[in-house]
Amino acid sequence: MSPVSTHSLARTRWLLGPAAVLLFLVGRAPEAQAQSSSPAATVDMTNTLSFAPDTVRVQAGETVRWTNGSVIVHTVTADPEEATTDESVRLPEGTAPFDSGTLDPEERFEHTFEVPGTYRYFCIPHEGAKMYGTVIVTPAE
Amino acid sequence: MTIPLSRFLSSSRPFGQRLLRRGASVLAALALVLMVWAPSAQAQEKMSEKEKQMLAQLQEMNQADGYLEAHRDVQQPMELLGGPLSFTIRQTSGGVFVSLPDNRTLDPDVFGAPDQPLAFTGTPGITGVPVPMRGVSDGQFTQFERMSPFGDKNTTMANGNLMLQATDRTATDAATTEDEVTLKASWEDQDGNTYAIRCCELLVSAGPEFPTFGGVVTNHILHGFTGIGTPLMPTEYTYAAFWGMGAVLKNGEVVDKPRIVHGMLTEYVRGENYKLVSDSEVTPTRRHFHLMVAPFMPVKGEHKFQPKDVATGFELPNGMELPFWHVMFENLEIESQRGE
Ligand SMILES: [Cu+2]
Repeated sequence: MSPVSTHSLARTRWLLGPAAVLLFLVGRAPEAQAQSSSPAATVDMTNTLSFAPDTVRVQAGETVRWTNGSVIVHTVTADPEEATTDESVRLPEGTAPFDSGTLDPEERFEHTFEVPGTYRYFCIPHEGAKMYGTVIVTPAE
Repeated sequence: MTIPLSRFLSSSRPFGQRLLRRGASVLAALALVLMVWAPSAQAQEKMSEKEKQMLAQLQEMNQADGYLEAHRDVQQPMELLGGPLSFTIRQTSGGVFVSLPDNRTLDPDVFGAPDQPLAFTGTPGITGVPVPMRGVSDGQFTQFERMSPFGDKNTTMANGNLMLQATDRTATDAATTEDEVTLKASWEDQDGNTYAIRCCELLVSAGPEFPTFGGVVTNHILHGFTGIGTPLMPTEYTYAAFWGMGAVLKNGEVVDKPRIVHGMLTEYVRGENYKLVSDSEVTPTRRHFHLMVAPFMPVKGEHKFQPKDVATGFELPNGMELPFWHVMFENLEIESQRGE
């Protein structure tokens, strides 16, 4: 191992230290939550081109899981750049867009909502069929 | 690939004399009872002389006849402006939407009103909808009173696969074509049966009742008010479409052949709950691909169609066989290029 890489390794270790402490304090990192088996809300994506239920409520910091329970390919998309009409997406100010990409039958997608507000999302191939959903995020109690 | 359907259907006798063109009010006054989507032989035997006469009159009144007459014998058709356009349309995962028989809501922009009807000439269901087959309420048309492949009812089937490679070279309808189409499409029902369409052993280089542009058309407008294809579909911008003779398969076996196969990549014409929209409701910013095997066959030697159910092998909940395929693919990869 060269001196440079040893130095890099040391730096990494130093950076991991506080992160590990933070993880311990918070309990779960967003990554850990994304793998969690108990999301705060679950939404099914159907053969009849709907998100079911079409509206879910979660608290800030909680995760929603979407499952494609249909035989059709869908997406979960809250990105204005992917939308072709204004009504397809609504994001609280200051939040980053998100997009599941193509979800084949039985595939899942999870997203953790940090900022309270109302999120409107859509399915890219079925935007014309008004396949829309809403997530209402309330402040954490 | 270059054998034109017009030759396949050609007749030695010249195109028959046109019947007197009568007004729509006369048509509306006559009760025409055609089992458009029922098995052809049975339905046509049941028709009275008056009904047969009416059908013949509507077919003779078809508005594209003059245009087609000028084009169908052209031996050296012109090329597309700007040269050939080739494209590939693929779906490699996800399912499909399969239309089920339904009554189509009639759009006044396409069908007019009872006192001023539009789009009633030609073979019923192919290029026109006879006025007596239209429901009326409050002085407006309501719906097509026959079941057709063009409505809101549908089901989904898994594992949709689509591979279409095509070239649009020939511009107009003609006796020959340089257009090319290779299509393989398949999907599966809940019991694991596979249904497939293969096309095209030959292209419809000239349409019997409406233009087919050599078999492949690109960047055009079809259906609805255009008179190109059934008005029961909304008027839709069409990036690419083809008409050819192909085969219908179930579990790898050919179950119906030859059949006219029509495919098209269009703007999105479905709304909430997959409702087939009217002209003012299409979504120009999204696209989908439609594959159609209609319950019709061209009449040999004549420029018209007659009903003939497709042997799809797919059983409907009522025990009847689905008499057509109208299948939509919406998870598409699309490529295209100009030039050879
Ligand atoms: Cu969808």
